[in-house]
Order: sequence, then C-alpha cells, then structure tokens
Amino acid sequence: MLSPIISVKKLCKIYHIGNNKVYALCGVSFDIYEGEFVAIVGTSGSGKSTCLNMLAGLEKPSSGSINIAGKRIDRMNERQLVAFRRMHIGFIFQSYNLLNSMNALENVAMPLMFRGVPYKKRTQKAMKYMRMIGIGDQADHMPNQMSGGQQQRVGIARALVIDPKIIFADEPTGNLDSHTTEEVLQIMREIVRSQKKTLVMVTHDPVIAAWADRQLKVVDGRVIEVIYNPDSEIEKRIFSENGSMPFCDVAPNPTLIGEENESVPKKERKK
Amino acid sequence: MRIFDLVSLAGSNLLRRKTRSILTILGVIIGTASIVVMLSLGLGMSRMLLESYQNYGSLTMINVVNWSWTENDSSHELTDECISNFSVIPHVIGTSPALSVNVTANCGAYTSNYEIVGVSQDYFSQLTLKSGEIPKPDQGTLSLVYGNTATGNFYKKNDWANPRSVDPETETIFYQFPDASNIGSIDSPEGNTSTSPAKKYILQTSGVLAGEKDAYSETSMRCYADIDTFKRFLKKIYKKNLVPNPKTNKKGKALRYYVYDSAYVFVDSMENVTDVQKIISDQGFTCYSNMEWLKQAQQTMGVVQMVLGGIGAVSLLVAAIGIMNTMMMSIYERTREIGVMKVLGCDMGDIRNMFLCESAMIGFLGGTTGVLLSYGISGFINMFLGGGESMGLFYFGGGSNAISYIPHWLAAFAILFAVVVGSLSGYVPSVRAMKLSALTAIRND
Repeated sequence: MLSPIISVKKLCKIYHIGNNKVYALCGVSFDIYEGEFVAIVGTSGSGKSTCLNMLAGLEKPSSGSINIAGKRIDRMNERQLVAFRRMHIGFIFQSYNLLNSMNALENVAMPLMFRGVPYKKRTQKAMKYMRMIGIGDQADHMPNQMSGGQQQRVGIARALVIDPKIIFADEPTGNLDSHTTEEVLQIMREIVRSQKKTLVMVTHDPVIAAWADRQLKVVDGRVIEVIYNPDSEIEKRIFSENGSMPFCDVAPNPTLIGEENESVPKKERKK
Repeated sequence: MRIFDLVSLAGSNLLRRKTRSILTILGVIIGTASIVVMLSLGLGMSRMLLESYQNYGSLTMINVVNWSWTENDSSHELTDECISNFSVIPHVIGTSPALSVNVTANCGAYTSNYEIVGVSQDYFSQLTLKSGEIPKPDQGTLSLVYGNTATGNFYKKNDWANPRSVDPETETIFYQFPDASNIGSIDSPEGNTSTSPAKKYILQTSGVLAGEKDAYSETSMRCYADIDTFKRFLKKIYKKNLVPNPKTNKKGKALRYYVYDSAYVFVDSMENVTDVQKIISDQGFTCYSNMEWLKQAQQTMGVVQMVLGGIGAVSLLVAAIGIMNTMMMSIYERTREIGVMKVLGCDMGDIRNMFLCESAMIGFLGGTTGVLLSYGISGFINMFLGGGESMGLFYFGGGSNAISYIPHWLAAFAILFAVVVGSLSGYVPSVRAMKLSALTAIRND
C-alpha cells in the first residue's frame, strides 16, 4: 500500500477584490504519489497557478489542508516554509529566474549556498547535475550569454541540486520554442523516472500536459477531469499496490451542465 | 548561509552597480571626514591648551595660600606642622613651604628687586634646570637657583627705560636683605635696630632654570633656595624673629615658629588634583591650581568640540539618508531576485543580513576612506595654518603647533561609527526586503 507524498483536502482560495469575493480555487482535493509526474492543466485564470503556489507554500490557503511528506504546510509560518522549501522542494520557473550576476555554475549551486554548503562541495555537486542535464560545458557562461533552452536547463539543474523529493514547475516551457520545449520535457520526464522524483507541473497547453503521467484539468477553480497516461508505469504500479487509481475529487464540468447529465464526470473518473 | 558567502554576495552586489555604490560611499566619505576633521580641530586645540598650561606651570601642583584676615586666628596658619599634615592626604607625593623674602640685588650700577624663596627638595624635584645643580638639603652655605627670567630686569638708577639682564653664573650679584621690622625688635634687646647701612651678601649660584630669557612662567621670576639652609641663613640676620617681617602673637611679639604665606602641594596625577584641592580647602585654606583654569578652559573647549562635531554629524546624517535611499532603490530593482531566493529556500534572516551587510560595507568603505582623507586634510591644515597666526590665540604657547590632531582612537571610532550608521540606515530597507513576497518572483510580467 503506497501512501501519497502530497495530499490536498478541500483547498480553497478566495481573493478579496474591493468588496467582491473571487474564488480562485474552490474545494480541490487530490493525492499525489512519489515518482508521479502530474500536470495541472487549465486556461489562464482557472486557478492552476494559485494551486501550485499554495502547494509550494508561496500563498496561504483560505481554507483546506495541504499535507506534504507528512507536514501540514498550510499551518507553517513563512520562516518554516522557507526552511521546508530549502530542504525538500525544487522549483522551476517559466522565466528561468537565473541571477544575472552569477555564472551558470554559481546559479545551480545557489540553493546549496542557502543551506550553508561550503563552496567546493557545492560546486562539485552542481557540476554533477549540470553534466547530467547536458550543460556541463556551460558552467562559466553568464545567463545572458545563453539561449532560453540552455537557461531553462540551468534552472532544472538548480532545482535538482538540493536533491528534493518534490519539484514544482510553473509553465517551464512557456518561453521556449517547440523544439526546445520537447527537449526540456524529455529531460524532466527522464529525471522523474530515473531519480524517482515527484514533479508537479502547471501548464495551459494540453499537448505539453500530455507528457505527464496524470493530468488534472482545472476550470474555474475546480478539477473537472483527470486524464491518465496509458503508458505510465507509475500509475500502473499505484493501481496494483493500492487497488485504485490516485484519489482525486472531480467536480462536474460547468460547461457541460445543462447540456448533458451529471454522469459525465463520473464516467471520467472511472476511466 | 555561511558568513563568507553572505559577505561575498553583498560585495558582488555592490560591484554590480559601481557608479551608484561609489556615489553612496562618497557621501559617507565626506560625512566621516567632516566629523573627523572637525573633531580633530577641537582635539588639537585642547591639546595645545593643555601643553601651554603645562609650559606655564606644573599641572599637578596646588598652591595653598594663607590670607590671615584676622591677626589672632592661628588655626589656619601655614606652619611646618600643618604642611606635613598635607603630605598624608592620599595622592599627595610631596609638599613644600614657600618662605619668601624680597631682596635687593646690585650688579655694578644696576639694581633689581626679586624674591628668594626657600623651598623643600620636593619642590626642587619639580623644576628642570638649564645648568648647574639643585642645592643639597641643609648645606653649609646658601646657594640659589635662578628662575630663567629672574635676573632679566636690572636697572640703572634714574634710567628705568633701559633694563639689562645679568647672568648670575658669570657676574657677581650683591644682595641686600630687608631691615628687620620693628615689631619684633622692640622687645628684643639683641634685635638689629642699628641704622648702619645694610650688609651686602654674595650668594653662591647653584643653577639656572630651563627656559628662554623671555619665557615667563610661574617659576621663572624668582630665585630658589633650600628651605633649611635659607632658614639658618635668615636666623643669622634676624635672630629670634626668624624672618624679616614676622607674624606676631596677641601680645605683639614675634612668633617663635615659622608661619608661611604660601605652600605647595604636589599630587601624583592631574586627575587627582581637584580631589586633593577640595580636601585642603575643606581644612580652611585657600588653594589655587592651574588645573582649575585648565578645567574651565577644557569645558569651554568641550562645547566648541561638540559644536564642531555636530556640524560634521549633519553631513554624516545626509550620507546616512543617502545609504538608505540607495538600499531602497536596490531592493526595488532586486525584488524579483529576492523573491527567487526566497522560493529557492534562502532564509529570511539571511536576506536581511545580506542587505545589512551591504549597507555596513558602504559604511565601512566610506568610513575607512573618510578617515584616510581626513588624515590628509589634517596634515594639510597643519602645514598651512599650524605654524602661523594660530599661535597668536595662545600667547603663552610653545610645544606642538598642530591645530588638527587625530588620535588613533578617533580614527577607529570614526570607522566604527560609519559602519554603525551604515547598518542602521540599511536596517529598514533590509527588513523590507526580508518581508517581500516570494510570489512576485514567479509572476511573469
């Protein structure tokens, strides 16, 4: 019996704009298991990014609980969250967010610096991951001398260098052309499989999302559909160990209400 | 995060924006230099003041005076016994009575009047001689130590306009001691009441005090003799009266013991002078010391220094605002970077410390350069102003003529102060940086 590494229950986020309440996320519940590559798919404004931000502890949920590796991160204060990210979480950004004043190697080694790892040790480790991702020869390049694809590889190496259990990626291919997008996704999937990492990726593009083991489709702050990759080893393993697919509370698709009956989402769930 | 990483990160951030860092540091340089130079002027002046007082007279000496307002009050008479009582006061290292007699000195056709003062060996030990030696205690013949200006005013009769100075070491001076006053001689058959011309004495010269012929000071205008030798010498002239102008008792008879007009008390260090002086004046004596004047002068100097320092401090305040502004700008520019660091797990305290470190570095660099600059300015001031008219302010000057003086503690203090000012003005911005939301970093705008 496998237990989930991320467990989200009735997660809600309400923004107050003037006197109006805006529901960014209303009552989302799902589990994510170790080794899974999960994509949260949705159009802009669907609440997918809000969901990821809350998982990464960058935003406080209005209600609901988030349990990551046995820790209730919704109950942590900012200081604890920073420490938690430092120890357990890698983050890949859409716009790479490399520090322009540092070369690639220093950028990759930066999270280890925050941990207080000595210079020699952290550059060795950073170099190891850069080689693994195929940018070992770029170590002393500055970010502005590199292409988008190379920069994102540096970003991925930076996320990996602390050897995190979980990696969050926010539109990691959003600024890349289709060719490099494919390369980057290839790398990410490869790492998830070989290193047994858990990757949670947010994207608006269903084609990119199709690379994942499992897609959670978010519309108006609700998960309306779960799509499994039929070739996914990990999903098969979870099914064989637990006797069921990973838990996800699927809400009725608001666009379908009225047109078809409510059995449609249920059918989806059984798939 | 390691301290080394923190510092090098802060340093590289400063280097990234060279122009702005340099301008901010320049502000601190000017601020620090203006404080240091202003204070150095004040310190230099107060040091000059101290030195000029030291040249004028000993700062550890207290002059005890006995103004006998009432003839019959013997409780406050300065007697040998009473002077020896002074020597048991804590911090007192020596005492001396001052038995002074006005004499007329003749050298050829020239005449002068000055005092011969009988003092103890304690007093002699305070004096520095140019030549000769200090008279031995209680020696056979009376010998004198001349003040450096004592023999500078010999006049010819009816020619007051052209004084000349006599060198006691080469020329012979004839001394006439004053006639014994009548008070004592009435009852004393042995008293010398004759009207015969006063006897002339030639006194041995033992030494001359150090100093120029025109450098006046407390000690320069008199001659000194060993007290015991002098007493014996006077006794021969004045017999039972002991001194030319003795104090009298109730019956109008001359006292049979020595009562001095003044005495000197020597204290181990300048700091204790005031305390000892208070003890003596509590015993009913009037005391003077140069320390009193110096204290007053130094108080005035202190106010001047504060004003000067205050003027300098204003420019450092402006520099502090400059630091704050620079740090604020820097934080606005680096909002995204700070956010990324937070997302990647940089401790909040580390972010704050990084910015604090940056502003402290600005303070340190500015402070150090400012101190170096002020050494330069100080040297410049001393070179062009030190020798000249500034001396006019202190007419009994001498000694060092540096009007700007930077002691090491001031330099160290200035650098430390600049670092503290830098850190303080960086505090608000750094806390703001610490509290920035990590979310802004990943918003794609």
